[in-house]
Amino acid sequence: MSRTSRSAVRVEKPAPAVTAPRAHPVLVGVLAWWVPGAGHLLQGHIRKALIFFIVLVAMFGIGLAFGGRLFPFQMTEPLVFLAAAAEWALALPRVASALGGLGGGNAVAITYEYGNTFLIVSGLLNALVLLDAVDLATGRKAR
Amino acid sequence: MTTHLGVMMLFAACVAAVFGALLRDDPRDQVRMAGRIFTGLVVGAYAVGWVMYIAF
Repeated sequence: MSRTSRSAVRVEKPAPAVTAPRAHPVLVGVLAWWVPGAGHLLQGHIRKALIFFIVLVAMFGIGLAFGGRLFPFQMTEPLVFLAAAAEWALALPRVASALGGLGGGNAVAITYEYGNTFLIVSGLLNALVLLDAVDLATGRKAR
Repeated sequence: MTTHLGVMMLFAACVAAVFGALLRDDPRDQVRMAGRIFTGLVVGAYAVGWVMYIAF
């Protein structure tokens, strides 16, 4: 076998993939639960983190402005319990508004149900964002 | 803002922005996806509204 043919059959090794160190999934999950977008920010997805933070906090604020209610965990009323669980999926805004005396709910306001919808859906969307951040951290989803 | 249409469009815009960012990585794809979701939500709400108006 000549020199030329030997070099022709040599197999090129693929370049090693460049991977940034992954953040711990539990830390990512807790941060993403408290602050919308924080899980993505920790992993370098700055643009996505900004979108999640701005939109979800805005939705929560709109819900409060529309007279929506921060529901308590009430086991006797299953739907109220589920609404409370959904609202708690956006922890920091939920705690901050409760501490600030907001979210009493204005049941006679024409926008009351809209407000509840915005509050509940913002929490549910943050739950999806949290799962996405954890999937990125564990490697189940490609970066 | 207290019109049904205005609130529905505001809600659809928020949901579309989050899903667009969640489901796509490229900025242009995100905008396209968000636009598609927004249109789907608004047109779907109109369609369901008309069906309910005619049928019930």
